Amino acid sequence: MAQRQLADVFIEMADTLVDDFDLMDFLNTLTERCVELLDIAAAGLLLTDGQGALQVVAASSERTRLLELFQLQTDQGPCLDCFRTGVPVSVVDIPASGKWPRFTAAATEVGFAAVHALPMRLRTEIIGALNLFDVDAGPLDPEKLRIGQAIADVSTIGLLQQRAIQRRDVITEQLQTALNSRILIEQAKGLLAERLHVNVADAFAILRATSRSHNRRLADLAQAIVDGTEQLPASTPMEVRPDQTRNAATTPAAATGRPSASRRPGGDSSVAP
Amino acid sequence: MNVDRRMRLWMLMVKQADGAPMAVDHAGAVAVAVAAVDAAAVAVSVAASPRESVYASGPLAADLEELTTTLGEGPGVDALVDGPALAADLREDWCQARWPMFAPAAVDLGVSAAFALPLQVGGIRLGVMDLYRIQPGTLDRDHLIDALVLADTACALLLDAATPDPESPPEDASLQHPEVHQATGMIIAQLGVTAAVALIRLRAYAYTHEQRLRDVAADVVAHRVRFHPDPVAAGPARERAPDEDTEGE
Repeated sequence: MAQRQLADVFIEMADTLVDDFDLMDFLNTLTERCVELLDIAAAGLLLTDGQGALQVVAASSERTRLLELFQLQTDQGPCLDCFRTGVPVSVVDIPASGKWPRFTAAATEVGFAAVHALPMRLRTEIIGALNLFDVDAGPLDPEKLRIGQAIADVSTIGLLQQRAIQRRDVITEQLQTALNSRILIEQAKGLLAERLHVNVADAFAILRATSRSHNRRLADLAQAIVDGTEQLPASTPMEVRPDQTRNAATTPAAATGRPSASRRPGGDSSVAP
Repeated sequence: MNVDRRMRLWMLMVKQADGAPMAVDHAGAVAVAVAAVDAAAVAVSVAASPRESVYASGPLAADLEELTTTLGEGPGVDALVDGPALAADLREDWCQARWPMFAPAAVDLGVSAAFALPLQVGGIRLGVMDLYRIQPGTLDRDHLIDALVLADTACALLLDAATPDPESPPEDASLQHPEVHQATGMIIAQLGVTAAVALIRLRAYAYTHEQRLRDVAADVVAHRVRFHPDPVAAGPARERAPDEDTEGE
């Protein structure tokens, strides 16, 4: 099982090399892979905004409460510490930890017992952190920690894809673009939620499923929806189920099940979901 | 933290304005003062209308803007679509290849580096802040961040009809408060307007009700506040194609 999922991550990595690479979808997929591979409850990717704060760009679930928990760490919490120090930070028993009162209270309320943050590194620079939450207290075993770090590194590669990264500017260009894409996705989520009478988490699932079934980049589709140049068909993919932190990523029927390989030119779809 | 940076830059803008109403001009002028560049310009480009220069720090900036508009290429064109375009040396191969007309022409005008920062909020693209320098070289990190904050502030100024209070900078629309962007999307559907108009209306509502933007946004997302199309004045709020949303709520 784990081997197969790791293979999927490799295939998705290869996607970063193609022309119509969908960064926002890729980052979301990686957070979902974390949940599957590491057997944790939730994962999120936070990037630096260049001004000392972190912003959420992708998460394994779009539940508002969870996003708020990631966002809370823009000014305090393990993610920010990890970002500032460049080393992994773990809190193995959140309720017992005395640090970051606002964060620990919120995490406990949602039902999380442990949190881990792994740095996203580019050579000497830290550009963000991968944030993992678990409902069970305790450390991540070393094997999982390695896989988690590998996924954090793959995210960095994805972010900086196709650009000559010897130019230091490029990091800022890419980070700013990714942050703006996420704002755009939030706008599209709101628009769809209002129009389709669903909550914003479900609106995201619909957006994502549509982007995949139409072979459109998530950010491109979001832009078209926000611009009003594209309407979602009346028959919105209703098989998209309400988002659930753990199940959303592991249920084959969920919006996440589509193999990324079939998005590549040449239509190699030999990899089953 | 960024709050201090925003405040510091805002105070510099207020000083620049010297009592005049705050405008994007002052963001541009401060960019020249703090970001170690020689010229700055702001161009606005809404929807399909052509790029229009609204501020130039001097003749050099004006010439470069005209060049960009005439040629239809350059960092200031790309930034509107692709995010920041930072060219530390326009003589470099990649710059010459990317902007085959603009890059050599800008070099002829005596400019070596061009940095274009989008004035955008997600899908809302309002324009670009262009910074130019005679000497080649990257913008150092701190200068770049100052410039990004100034571009954000210019963006907010373009979105707010009301004259901002010089005491504090307009609320920025970062990712820090995703509900602001979700609310923008919801208002697009509620009013059948463009995203820019939706955000303008949201900001105006917060301003006139003396509430924080994020709080009004949270109310919109929670369906506690709803925007209704103005039934009489089919004014600037109705910019959408009629096939857009006929729910008429």
